[in-house]
Amino acid sequence: MSKKKLRYSLSFRVIASIILTILVFGMLTSLIGYVRFTASMTREYNSAALRTAETAATLVNSDHIGLYLDSGGQNPEYLLSLQRMQILCEKQNVSLIYVIQVDTTDYAHFTSVFNTVHPSSGYTPWEIGYVRETTNESYREIYRSLYSRETEYATITRTRDLNGAPPHTTSMIPLKGADGTVRALLCVQRPMEQLQHMRRAYLWMVAGVTVLLAVGTSVTYSLFIRRQLLHPLQQIRAESVRFAQENSRNEKPLSESISKIDEIRTLAQSITQMETETLNYMSNLQSITAEKERIGTELSVASMIQESSIPNLFPAFPERTEFDIYASMSPAKEVGGDFYDFYLIDDDHLALVIADVSGKGVPAALFMMVTKILLKERAMMGGTPAEILEFVNSRICDNNRADMFVTVWFGILEISTGKITAANAGHDDPAVFRSGQGYTLHSEKHGLVIGAMQGMRYRNFEIDLEPGDKLFLYTDGVPEATNAQNQMFTLEQMLQSLNQTTRSNPEETLRKIRGDVDQFVGDAPQFDDLTMLCLKFGSAD
Amino acid sequence: MEFTITQSDRAVTLAVSGRLDTNTAPLLEKQINELPPETETLVLDLMALTYTSSAGLRVLLIAQKKMMRQGQLILRHVSPQVREVLDITGFSDILTIEE
Repeated sequence: MSKKKLRYSLSFRVIASIILTILVFGMLTSLIGYVRFTASMTREYNSAALRTAETAATLVNSDHIGLYLDSGGQNPEYLLSLQRMQILCEKQNVSLIYVIQVDTTDYAHFTSVFNTVHPSSGYTPWEIGYVRETTNESYREIYRSLYSRETEYATITRTRDLNGAPPHTTSMIPLKGADGTVRALLCVQRPMEQLQHMRRAYLWMVAGVTVLLAVGTSVTYSLFIRRQLLHPLQQIRAESVRFAQENSRNEKPLSESISKIDEIRTLAQSITQMETETLNYMSNLQSITAEKERIGTELSVASMIQESSIPNLFPAFPERTEFDIYASMSPAKEVGGDFYDFYLIDDDHLALVIADVSGKGVPAALFMMVTKILLKERAMMGGTPAEILEFVNSRICDNNRADMFVTVWFGILEISTGKITAANAGHDDPAVFRSGQGYTLHSEKHGLVIGAMQGMRYRNFEIDLEPGDKLFLYTDGVPEATNAQNQMFTLEQMLQSLNQTTRSNPEETLRKIRGDVDQFVGDAPQFDDLTMLCLKFGSAD
Repeated sequence: MEFTITQSDRAVTLAVSGRLDTNTAPLLEKQINELPPETETLVLDLMALTYTSSAGLRVLLIAQKKMMRQGQLILRHVSPQVREVLDITGFSDILTIEE
């Protein structure tokens, strides 16, 4: 969610809902107030008009009304009453006070007796004796009920069909003679103007208060939301973005009092806590990675040391034409437990070694180095392969706390004759190629692996090579190479592959075997070290 | 890989089944290390053992060395595949293998 949209939607929604609520509330209050106000004001208004009418009635001598009409108003008593009524009209601030005698045959006509007019009302007073038709049907009914004394007074409110007059209320009371009969009606007319003024003022006040309340509340709320919600949220958001980009501790961490809203405070605290934990995790990860890199570097150096400890430059003896030799070693891990070795003991004797340490990785590599050095040092001192193996076995058994062991096939080729004297300490039988026969395994009784048991004896045996014959040494990584279907390459398949290389030199032979093994294994990971050595006896052509 | 242990008097028979390799050999090593000290004869019944790697051979060697001090180790019902490995590595020379 974008910054702008967040702000818009949150404050807009809250403020809009506040305004809407207050408006609806205000309208309801106004409506109820208006109705109640109108009712009570009207009641008050009418009763005031009625009291004025009752007061005015005391000014008129009802029994003399006929006399007044006959004299056409030229009567001192009439004039006095009229004068007093005029004063009352003005003092009470009513539009009209008038007395009429209604024609009781059909109540359709009436004759004016008294008529006083407030100067500001704009009316022209009727002359005494002025006869007028009853203007409205409802008036006739009211006249009748008042004359028949069914009602003691009547109030009529007129807001339409006024013939140009302003809205007004008229209160009427009957004027009774000494005998109790109704002689005339006294009417007091008040304009509605005042009532409407007051009602309008009331409405304005309610509307004003409502609007003020809405505006005030919205402003207060929007300030509150901005300060306590939106601004903190923006800070938290900015901090999250900063942390995602920089991944570092904040110089100015989110304040504990970022907001008065609990949830926002908790969110800010969670962000800070998350940052701390992420940083801890990252620093852990960094040290672990650094440690891994260090181990990786050490392993690659170890791997270089191991590789350079065995002859790996070919041709190994460019000046010797009597034999050709090639070997390869590929550990399953950075360093391995397999190894091959070959060296001239003297001009006529070439030592050939292939060995496989139990286990893999660094422990196997360390064990391999010890074995390799012991074998070579002892071999250079002279002696038969069996003697050499016995010596090395004894030395290794002296200090073999880890109960590791190593299988070794150790042979010495007499270059001048092609005779190999060898001894086998638990290693796989070599394959020997003879012209016209192909490769076969050269099986001899095996001695025990080196390092297993103190005082073991080993037995020498001989393999006679003719020129053109080849010796193939390998570790179990070759026949036990495993594919994804968990099938092994097997010795049989190894011999088959070898027999396709009868014309090849040692290097080509090893490449062929390696290629066949790789093809067989496919995508399955290499589990074991893969080490091979091939010697071809006789001139290298 | 699974073990079945039967114990009688001072002889313990451990029937080992499945593959004995880098992953499973430590389990067998643990079993052998936890043998009662008064055990005089340890019989490893390998009838159902299909494969052993050099890690497995190492455990057989540990067992052999341990039992040489307090009695004897006997391998029983060794399958042809396992027998071949024992022959190649020369282990059959130092181990007592019974049918």
